[in-house]
Amino acid sequence: MNHAYYITAADLAERGAENIPDELRSAKHMIYSSPATLDYNSPGAKGFGVKRAGLVIPESVMLLVAPGCCGRNTALLNELGYSERFFYLMLDDTDIVTGRYLSKIPKACAEIAQELEKKPSVIVICVTCVDALLGTDMERVCRSCEEASGIPSIPAYMYALTREKRLPPMALVRQSVYSLLEPQKRVSNECALLGYFSALDDGCELYALLRGAGIRRIHEIGRCQTYDEYKDISRANFSIVLNAEARYAAQDMQKKLGIPFIELTRLYRIDKIRTQYKLLGQAIGAELDDAAYYDETAQKIAEFRQKHGSLRFAVGEMLNADSFELALSLLEYGHHVSEIYGTVGERNFVFVKRIAAVSPQTRIYSNLHPSMLGYERDCAIDAAIGNDAKYYHKDLPGIGFQEEAQPFGYRGVNLLFDGLDAALTEGAHA
Amino acid sequence: MSSLLKHLSPLAPDDSGACGVFYELGGITVICDAGGCAGNVCGFDEPRWHEKRSALFSAGLRDMDAILGRDDRLVEKLKLICQQIEAPFTAIVGTPVPAVIATDFHALQRMAERKTGLPCITAATDGTKLYDHGEMLAYEAIFRRFSTDKLPVKPGRLGVIGATPLNTGLTRADRMFEALHAEGWREVVCFGMDSGLDEIRRVSECAHLLVISPSGMQSAAYLHKTFGTPFSVGFPCIPDAAAEAARAVRGRRVLIVHQQFAANALRELLRDCEADAATWFMLDKAYAQPQDFRIRGEQQLAGLAQNYDVIFADAALKRVLRGFSGEWIDFPHFAVSGRLN
Repeated sequence: MNHAYYITAADLAERGAENIPDELRSAKHMIYSSPATLDYNSPGAKGFGVKRAGLVIPESVMLLVAPGCCGRNTALLNELGYSERFFYLMLDDTDIVTGRYLSKIPKACAEIAQELEKKPSVIVICVTCVDALLGTDMERVCRSCEEASGIPSIPAYMYALTREKRLPPMALVRQSVYSLLEPQKRVSNECALLGYFSALDDGCELYALLRGAGIRRIHEIGRCQTYDEYKDISRANFSIVLNAEARYAAQDMQKKLGIPFIELTRLYRIDKIRTQYKLLGQAIGAELDDAAYYDETAQKIAEFRQKHGSLRFAVGEMLNADSFELALSLLEYGHHVSEIYGTVGERNFVFVKRIAAVSPQTRIYSNLHPSMLGYERDCAIDAAIGNDAKYYHKDLPGIGFQEEAQPFGYRGVNLLFDGLDAALTEGAHA
Repeated sequence: MSSLLKHLSPLAPDDSGACGVFYELGGITVICDAGGCAGNVCGFDEPRWHEKRSALFSAGLRDMDAILGRDDRLVEKLKLICQQIEAPFTAIVGTPVPAVIATDFHALQRMAERKTGLPCITAATDGTKLYDHGEMLAYEAIFRRFSTDKLPVKPGRLGVIGATPLNTGLTRADRMFEALHAEGWREVVCFGMDSGLDEIRRVSECAHLLVISPSGMQSAAYLHKTFGTPFSVGFPCIPDAAAEAARAVRGRRVLIVHQQFAANALRELLRDCEADAATWFMLDKAYAQPQDFRIRGEQQLAGLAQNYDVIFADAALKRVLRGFSGEWIDFPHFAVSGRLN
C-alpha cells in the first residue's frame, strides 16, 4: 500500500502558490534522506555540491575547515580524481568554543603551500554550519591565508542551514568561483556562459547559433583546463546566465568587471526554446536562425510518439531539468505524466497550473517528506525520468538524465528522447 | 599540525556511530542537523541505507531555528512524524549545530517524550569526535533505557555488542553467527544488526556478552553490574584474506591498524612476529600491549610506520605512508575508507 503523501495537480493548483501544503514544504517537516535524493541532503557529496564546485577553478585546492562529520563523504570525490586537491583542518570542540581554529587556518594554508610541488592557483577555504552560526568573517580569514601562504584564497560557504535563503550555498559558491577574475579589455566577439560547473553538451546548438552571430570565443568554466584560460573569462563582452543560481555571480561580474548579462532558462518545450532564442538574438543584435534545429527536434518528438505511443511517465527532480517544466513538455507532446517527485515553489508554480489544466490527476510528491519511506507504486507508469524516479521504479525502463555534460535547448530535448528511446527499446527487448 | 589532514579524508564521526547503533532498532532517529550531516550518514557511513529501511531523518534545521533555539519546532516535527510512522521510541542525535548553540539534550528529551508519548533517547554527539564515541553513547543510552528486566538466563545464548558496519564492514550478521556457532554458542544475537529492540530488552537472557569494539565496553560493564552477565572481548569477523595473510607471516615486525579489538584479534593469528596494534579510535589500556599506540595524526603514523616490515591496514592509509617500503596487507576498516568486507 502506498503510504506516501501526494496531492493532485488540480488540488495543488486550486490551493495556489501561497497555500502549498506543509507536506511539500521541506521547512515544515523532518527531511527524509531517501536514497533517491541524497544529492539534496548531501550537498558536498555527489554531482556539483559546494566542495566540488569550489574546485572548478583550474589548479585550485580546497581546505575544508570543519568538524570531521562535514567532510566525511568527500572520500566519494576521491574516485573522481580529487584526492590530491582536498585538505582538511579538523575542528574539535575546544576549537569551536574558543575560536582558536581561526589562527590555525593561515598556518594550515602555509603548510599546504609548502607541501605541494606545484603552487596552486588558489586555496578555496570551505566552511560549514559552524562558521555560519559563529559569524566568521571569511574575507578577513582569506586575507590572512593569502599573507601566510602567498597564494590567493577565497571562501566557499557550505552553509546547509541557509539552503532556502535568497542566496543559498550554490549561488554563493558560483559568486566565489568567478570572484578571482580581474578587469581587462573586453573583446566584442567573446562571451561567457555561466550557470553550470560542467560544460554544455558538445552538440548544443547554442554554440553554433552564437558563432553564427559572430561570437568567436565562448568561455565556460567547465572547459577551462588552465588558470590562464579561467582568467580569460573576463574578456567576455557579455555573459549568458543559463541557471538562475548564477544570477548573483553575473551581477557581481557586471559590477566588478563591467560584463552585462542575459538570462536564459533550460526548457524542454520547443516553442518556448524558439521564443527564447528569438529574444536572445534581439538582445545581442543578431538574428539567430534556429529553424533547422527546431524542425529536426519536432520531427524527433513526433517519431518517438509514433514509435512508442502515448506513454505514462514518472518524472523526478534528480535530473537536468525543472521537473514541472519537463512534465508539462511531455504532456504537450501527447504523453501522460502519472507522478512528479519535485520541489514546488513560486518559481515553478506556473507550470503546476498548466499541468493541472491538461492533466489534473497527475500526482505530486515531495521526495523529502518522511512518508516517502512508505512509497509504493499504485498507478500505471511506463517509464521513469530522473535518478530519483528510476530509484522508485527500478523495474521500469528509465533514464537518469543527470549527466555532467549539460543538456540545453533543442539539444537537450533530443538527448531526452534519444535516451528514452534507447531505454524503452532495451526494456522491450529485455 | 596534527589536526590537518593532507592525505586522508576525515574518519567516521560520532554522529554516524550513534546512528549506526540505532539503525535497526525500529525507532525514529532524528539527526539534529541542517541536512548535510544526515547526507553524510545516509550517503556514506550507513551502507544499510540502500538495503534495509530505517526511519532515519534529518531535522532540517535552518539558521533561524538555531539562532533562536527553536527546539519546540523540532519537537513539533517529531510529533508529526510519530503520527505517521509507528515506532517504539524516538532518538535524537547531535551534530555541530546543536553543539554550537549548546542544545540541552536532556530538556529536548523531556520535551519530546511529553509531546510524543514515546520514550526518547539522545546521543549528545557533536560531529568533532570519532564514530566509536558516538557508538558508546548510543549503546549506553539504549541499554540503560530499555534493558531493565532481569530475565532467566538462557544457557548457550551469546550477545554481541559492537556489531555495526563501521566496526565490522558487514551489513548482515550471518558471518558472525557462523563463526560464533562454530565456537559452540547455540543462540547468537548481534545487538542492532539483524536484530531489534526486543533483543535489547531481553539482553539479560544472555549467558555471556562478547564485545567486539571498545565502543561497547561501557555498556558491557553496565550490564555486568546490573545483571551479572559476564563479558569478554574478541572480533569474530576478520576478513578471510587478511586472516590468511596473517597466518602466513613469520618472524617480522608487524603493525596492525584498525579498531583495537579487530587489531588484537588479527595479532593472535600471527606467529613468531613482534606485532603492535595502532588505532585512530579508542584504545582501552586493559586490552593493549605495551607498544600499542593511538594514532594522533598523519605525520606521527608516517614516522612510526618506518619501524615495521609489514603493515596490516586499510588500503586508504597508503596515501599517508607513501614512504613505507615494507609489505602492505589490506585490512579494510569501513570507518576509515567506507569499504565493506
